[in-house]
Amino acid sequence: MSVIKLDKLTKDYGGGRGIFDLDLTVEQGEMMGYVGTNGSGKTTTIRNILGFLKPTRGAAYVNGLSSWEHSSEIAAEIGYVPGEIAFPDLKTGVEFLKCQAEFLGLKNMNYADELIARLQLDPRANLKRMSKGMKQKTALVAALMNDAPVIILDEPTTGLDPLMRATFLDIIKEEHKKGKTIFMSSHSFEELESTCDRVAMVNDGHIVDVCDVARIKNRPEKEFKIEFHSRRDYLRFIGGAYEIIRNQEQYNQVTVKIPAADAAALLRSLRAYDVKFISELPYTLERHFKKVLIEKKEKETHEKRN
Amino acid sequence: MKNEIKKHNDGLFSKALFKQSCKANGTMWAIVTVAVCFMLACVMLISGSGAIGEIKNSMQDSIITEEIDSQLQTRSINYYRYGEEGMRKFDETFLKNVAENQAAFANPSTAESAFTAAYAAAAQSVQAHAQKKALEINEAYTAESAESKEIVAAMTFPINPNGIFNAMYANEAESDKPEDYAAPLLTHAAAGDLTAYLTGDERAAYRSDRAEYCAAVFLAFNMTQEDNVEKIVNALSSFGVTKEKYDSFNYTYATIKRLGYTTAIDYRGQLAYEKEQLDKRLTAGEIAADEYEALFLQKMQEVTGDITESLLASLPQEVADALKEIGEMDLYTLIVGSIFYKLAGLLLPIIFTIMAANNLIAGQVDSGSMAYVLSTSTKRKTVAFTQGVFLTGSLLSMFILTSITGCVCLCFVENVSLTYGKLLLLNLGAFLVLFALSGLCFFASCFFDRSKRSMALGGGLSIYALVAAMLGLFGSDVIPSVIRLESLNGFNYTTIITLFDVISIMDGTSAFLWKFAVLAVLGVGGYIAGAIRFNKKDLPL
Repeated sequence: MSVIKLDKLTKDYGGGRGIFDLDLTVEQGEMMGYVGTNGSGKTTTIRNILGFLKPTRGAAYVNGLSSWEHSSEIAAEIGYVPGEIAFPDLKTGVEFLKCQAEFLGLKNMNYADELIARLQLDPRANLKRMSKGMKQKTALVAALMNDAPVIILDEPTTGLDPLMRATFLDIIKEEHKKGKTIFMSSHSFEELESTCDRVAMVNDGHIVDVCDVARIKNRPEKEFKIEFHSRRDYLRFIGGAYEIIRNQEQYNQVTVKIPAADAAALLRSLRAYDVKFISELPYTLERHFKKVLIEKKEKETHEKRN
Repeated sequence: MKNEIKKHNDGLFSKALFKQSCKANGTMWAIVTVAVCFMLACVMLISGSGAIGEIKNSMQDSIITEEIDSQLQTRSINYYRYGEEGMRKFDETFLKNVAENQAAFANPSTAESAFTAAYAAAAQSVQAHAQKKALEINEAYTAESAESKEIVAAMTFPINPNGIFNAMYANEAESDKPEDYAAPLLTHAAAGDLTAYLTGDERAAYRSDRAEYCAAVFLAFNMTQEDNVEKIVNALSSFGVTKEKYDSFNYTYATIKRLGYTTAIDYRGQLAYEKEQLDKRLTAGEIAADEYEALFLQKMQEVTGDITESLLASLPQEVADALKEIGEMDLYTLIVGSIFYKLAGLLLPIIFTIMAANNLIAGQVDSGSMAYVLSTSTKRKTVAFTQGVFLTGSLLSMFILTSITGCVCLCFVENVSLTYGKLLLLNLGAFLVLFALSGLCFFASCFFDRSKRSMALGGGLSIYALVAAMLGLFGSDVIPSVIRLESLNGFNYTTIITLFDVISIMDGTSAFLWKFAVLAVLGVGGYIAGAIRFNKKDLPL
């Protein structure tokens, strides 16, 4: 059974703003990334999943319960890290975590303590004076401490330094390994590519594509960029049987696309040439979505023309 | 390792949220409560120490002395007139008797018994005349009534037949006591010119002199009797006169007698003058003979009025009313009730209400921290209910503490009309005003996502209510009409604080009850509307 399901979810704020007809399912144990530029509707989607907003049409379901009608029931299953970290009017992190534990009816703080130790967080600090990173860590502890089976994070790594970001993502990955379902929004493609099973892309309130990260990583074709020292070698190479997708004559450079299995054959054949360098052009999520967006635009302009 | 997760209760009240609200707003609550209690204690103790209203009290005292004097003067003139009338009646009857029994009076052997018989008949006739007079004044004044007895006594007192009133001269010096009323009659009977004497001017002057003196003594004696003092005090109770107050003015036998005597002399002199004037006009033919009697009666009343006129009666009606009002004004009640509980004491709790109501919902939605509460499967209904309970509870506990402070302070304050019951009603009223305003603020807090909007609506209207009540105070009935600005009374119709009817509470009427009910309903309405709105709206968390 799908843990999170969006069924024609629409929240229309008017003037073309909002989210429109979103369809998406997140399966049990899956880690779903949710990417989009600022203002594309990521936070609105998450607020709908948590039942904070009433959908204009359609619905979001968590464990089969509609979010708006059953927001308090589904909340018990969800650990949520909001995008904007604002804590209640309490003095210290400890006080806040204790208060949250009380809300959750949580008696045992062992796991919270363990998380605090792992994150190297000093929760005794004054909530108001905490740095962005500390606040983010505190919020993460609060979201994870009751071991909720679903975790929803709204741009959790924004504003964190690279080291902190890595620790952060490690912890989230670990939770994922424990079998938790994770829904994480971000505007960073690499971050999602390195952590998620699937990534959905939202643009102007519409989901333009949902893609399997594994499929991006294990594409049947690979692209290589090769530069030759001599013009002679270059000319000899382009005369060969490889599919050339980009040709930069002035640098003696060529980009070829080959089936992944043929990589060894390519390298072998290049022994006969004086190669200045060879590098693989990885097919990233970013490239993928850019391609999808360009295709979409072309389609639209095409439709308009007709 | 799996943490133990207690199944969340579905109740409307969340203890955790309540605790969080207490921690977040506790300091502010404590500061406001201490400040309000401190102000209340200062107001009650300082204004209760008697330092306030000294000018007001002296004004009230002079109004009251004037009223008492006026009462005494009226009585003095009445006694003078009754005494004079009694003596005139006596002389008339006596004279008639003498005329009828001339032979017996002429015979020395029967003269003494004839004199005695005539004296007795005359005395008898005075009593009958007095009772008839009493019935003329009021049909209810029968012979047995106190009023009738008073008139009979006033008429017979100067004659003092058989010395029955001797006891009333106890305070008089031996030399001041008047001669026996029969004495001059006996002298003239012996001289044989009794008839001429009784009809002459000398006898009339003698009667008036005697009436003046006797009226003063009669008044002084009566007005130093406990039961008569009580009557005066009761008659003047509307001016705030009490027995203690009356005693503090030091009305003694001597002062009352002097007052009575001068009044009677004044009256006699002025009446004589008026009579002379009338006589002149009659002689000149300006007035007809049949008009004379009516004009004389009218002059008599005018003279009486002039002499006995009290301070208030001598002033124009509006000024008199204003003075009377200031005299009657209860400054302590005004300060504690209308100024502290209805205005000054509300300011800090209103500020607390505005800020707390905003913090409880709108502030948390605006900042986003409400997400932590709602993502723990706490229902929105529970949030609204718990925060409502917190807000109401914090105000209730605040006013329980001011009630206790007030009652303790009242122990130390003496001579005020404020009772413990009224003080508790004042606290209840102030609480209900804040409950109604907190309902408004709570609704604003639930309605808006932004703190500033919630503050603008809830806070703005609450502060308006207070300011309008302040302006309205100067047009309300608790302010003496001299300095009241009627036009400002309009503000009272624009603020719900008017529903806190301090005047009704202080007067002990029940009009404040339905107004309390309206305040309670408004408050509950605000909370319910807010909760419904919060339950249904989109939250940007």
